[in-house]
Amino acid sequence: MGGITGNRYAIGLVLFAMVALLGVPALHNDYITLTFRNILMFAAMSYGWNMIGGYTGYVSFGNVVFFGMGAYCSAALSGHGIDNLVAAVPLAMLVCASFAVVVGIPVLRLRGHYFGIATLGVSLAVADLVNNLDVLGGSSGLVLKQADQAHFWIYYYAMWLVAIGCILGTYAIARSKLGYAFVAIRENEDAAQVLGISPTRYKVTAWALGAMMAGAAGAVYAPANGFIDPSITFAIDNNVFPIVMAILGGMGTVAGPFIGALLLAGINEFLQQKFLQAHTIFFGATIVLVVVFLPRGLMYLVGLRGGVRRWFADLRVFRV
Amino acid sequence: MQLFFQDLVNGILAGGILAVVALGFSLVWGIMNIINLAHGAFIMLGAYIAWQLFTSLHVDPFLSVPVAFVIMFGFGYLLQRGLINRVVRAPVLATFLLTFGLSLLIQNLALMVWTSDTRAVTPVYSGANFDIHGVTIPWAKVATLAAALLITLVMYLWLQRSKMGRAIRATAMDVGAAQMVGVRVAHIYGVTFGIGAALAGAAGALLSLSYSLNPSMGEPFLIRGFVVCVLGGLGSVEGALIGGLAYGIVASFASNIDFTLYGQHVSGTGLQDVVALLVLLAVLIVRPTGLAGRATA
Repeated sequence: MGGITGNRYAIGLVLFAMVALLGVPALHNDYITLTFRNILMFAAMSYGWNMIGGYTGYVSFGNVVFFGMGAYCSAALSGHGIDNLVAAVPLAMLVCASFAVVVGIPVLRLRGHYFGIATLGVSLAVADLVNNLDVLGGSSGLVLKQADQAHFWIYYYAMWLVAIGCILGTYAIARSKLGYAFVAIRENEDAAQVLGISPTRYKVTAWALGAMMAGAAGAVYAPANGFIDPSITFAIDNNVFPIVMAILGGMGTVAGPFIGALLLAGINEFLQQKFLQAHTIFFGATIVLVVVFLPRGLMYLVGLRGGVRRWFADLRVFRV
Repeated sequence: MQLFFQDLVNGILAGGILAVVALGFSLVWGIMNIINLAHGAFIMLGAYIAWQLFTSLHVDPFLSVPVAFVIMFGFGYLLQRGLINRVVRAPVLATFLLTFGLSLLIQNLALMVWTSDTRAVTPVYSGANFDIHGVTIPWAKVATLAAALLITLVMYLWLQRSKMGRAIRATAMDVGAAQMVGVRVAHIYGVTFGIGAALAGAAGALLSLSYSLNPSMGEPFLIRGFVVCVLGGLGSVEGALIGGLAYGIVASFASNIDFTLYGQHVSGTGLQDVVALLVLLAVLIVRPTGLAGRATA
């Protein structure tokens, strides 16, 4: 499949698409710009999840906590009169990475289901906590000062920078010694340990790197949206959409999360326009269909030799 | 002191239902190694079955419990055989996501059928209560606790004594060995998932008496089910009961937390689950496979 970074042509395609996306604000269509900003945001979150879930194989069900914390970092700065993404994004990355390290050291000792549950628990506890803290606006949320209408493209390009940072960052990390250590842990944690890779240290590193990606996306999202509250920042969609995107596009690859985000967020947006009521049902149905029919992602289909028969034979191994 | 006893009683009354919620969750997890994220949605369906029977046919919610049990058993069995069985051997992520997707589907379909309006089941006795030395105890909750204990006891006997119960426990221990002595694993998985759904349905019908209904009402109970499972141990009936009661009591006492820190007012009513999740994290840090955990996850 092209080694640790995944299919090379797919990466080229993603980079080409990213260059093309630079031109979106030139269309002067606010709706299209917003849609693509959303796609870039979900892509960044999906890269964040891919670091821990795709590369080390630890299925986190609480990565939304980093997106939320990033958003609240931005909002907290805005509350002190600092409305500057150049300050907000690094702060969010720092806060999220520190939180990931502190929580990760105990939590990443858990394996399998227990890790998934613990991360879900962390994200729910943080969301509940924010909901009850008046300093952070509680359940009624916080309003942020936005750039004026003429400069609104700033948020689009900020999100673009975050996304390209995630893509190039993932590429660089995957090809470094770090990436090989992550994959070694995914394939066989005990064997990796025997080889001298300290699992806890590398897992915490992977989680913190992913946390920085999601946190940066959150820090840009908050002022771009102008308002945040716990129910929209810690939304279940923000938790699960990035995971499904990574699976669909290909877990543990450089191109996967972007391809998944482009497809799913794009289709979701289209359906939301056409069928407002039914689109959440579509979301549930997509997850079910992807898991049942494409558990190995789209790239598996691209590389499939042997047609439908082979495809269904490969699916049958998961049955009892 | 009176407050102490009131909290204790409230905790025990709430804990009984949690035991039923957690039991279904714990059986599916312990036996099939599936974290059923649709468990909350099943609870919601059980509650709506009770509400529908109460509103259209004036059936007492306690009589709806067996109805919800049977309907949800059938639903769970078919769901497992038709859909979940396709990924039951896939990595953790697959079943996690599949059941999450199902939960979304069920909740949104419920939203279309029953709308987002908050509903309530209010039989004539719903307001009646008695008190002992100033501790107020609602009759409906006592009856709910009794029903929950009865369900737990029946489940225990069924798992221990019946042929099917033995087959289920054998499958949990070693799928291959069970298969070799003639256990039809696919069927057993169907029955296990069905029982899990049925217990959620029964718990939902019981909950309809004391909670208001809406399509997302099950979510908090899903999380509580998790915590109880980890506290009490997987696939064990006693564990679910003890864990359920422990959770009920801890959450009940946590609701009285009330202090001011650096001018920030902290009140326990919104933080019950935060406290419980912190307890869960603490337990997991000390015992990474749960309090009564097995060696492998």
